[in-house]
Amino acid sequence: MNDERFDETMLTRALQALAAEMEQLSTPPEIETKLLDAFRAQQHATLGRQVSSRYWWAAAVAAMLLIALSVVAIRWRSEGVNDIRQTQTTRQVSPEPVKDVEHRAENVTPKRPTRKRIRPIESRRPQNTEVANHAAREIATDFIPLSYMNLVSLQDGGQIVRVELPRSALVNFGLPVNMDRYNEKVKADVLLGVDGLAHAIRFVQ
Amino acid sequence: MGTIDDSELLRSMLAGDEEALALLYQRRQGAIYRFALQMSGSKAIAEDVTQEVFLFLMREGHLFDPAKGSVSAFLFGVARNHVLRRLRVEQLLSPLGDDADQEGPCLLEELTRAETIESVRKAILSLPAKYREVVVLCELQDVSYEETAEILGCAIGTVRSRLHRARALLLAKLRPAEVEDADSTAVKSARCFA
Repeated sequence: MNDERFDETMLTRALQALAAEMEQLSTPPEIETKLLDAFRAQQHATLGRQVSSRYWWAAAVAAMLLIALSVVAIRWRSEGVNDIRQTQTTRQVSPEPVKDVEHRAENVTPKRPTRKRIRPIESRRPQNTEVANHAAREIATDFIPLSYMNLVSLQDGGQIVRVELPRSALVNFGLPVNMDRYNEKVKADVLLGVDGLAHAIRFVQ
Repeated sequence: MGTIDDSELLRSMLAGDEEALALLYQRRQGAIYRFALQMSGSKAIAEDVTQEVFLFLMREGHLFDPAKGSVSAFLFGVARNHVLRRLRVEQLLSPLGDDADQEGPCLLEELTRAETIESVRKAILSLPAKYREVVVLCELQDVSYEETAEILGCAIGTVRSRLHRARALLLAKLRPAEVEDADSTAVKSARCFA
């Protein structure tokens, strides 16, 4: 029993001695330097990530704003088109639709006014396009563009609206006018795109 | 700055304070290094483990939960995991045990203090890891039973029983040498007289 106690005591002393001997041991200073370098690098990386994430957020917000503005613009435009369609419907019904169209025609500079050749309406009627006047005996000019005509906007269909204009409007398109009938009106077909805008006009006789 | 506790230092460090890291490192690196050294017996492993522990603290320091224990216990826990992983990888456990067993009869043959300490150190290294860690923490690092239980993730009773068993194993490794000491001395004397 005494032997065992002695051994226990001895073991405790040996352990204490071992602990004391190792008490002053520590890592070499290079490790601290490496750690601090790693810490600085990590801080730089974190900062970079934060900055880049801010840029991403800014870009995302800008994209959202752009989308919102686009949606608003599209709605506003479609509402405008609806208004124009409603106006056109009213014009077709009302007895004075010609003046508006006349006004519009006066403001538009014709881009191809040189083609004045008159051909029968049947020969150059585009497919899938409603013809305003089915009378075979009518003759008409080629469609004269009223503004920049985007063919894409006509691919989805269009509408031809028959209107009456003062003959003086022919001058604006470079067409000859009989001064004797200057005060008379002339029939015209206005080609409306799906956007509701008048894209071209032709004069019918 | 010296009165700031470890948790506060850790918080400052995570907020980007380099000085807090330096202070925390200077305060805790010694214990972590010695723990790793006493567990592995290798300076290289101890240095690597110490570095890895503080790198882990830099990256994953937010995992520390003051409700679960002290920063010191957290660091010891991380160090323990790293040491055990390294020992598994390098398969140092069994060779050390075998060597110690082979050297068992010769332990304490020399009665000089330095050699006794060395023998104890070798005997500790020859212990199974679960006993070695409680000896290192409780006997060499002077960590309380409660904190050791936190580090090891076990009950205090388990720590006590493991420590008791570990001491018994150490005595068993050291005692035969002492018992044989008289015989070997006699043999030596006989040889000298021969």
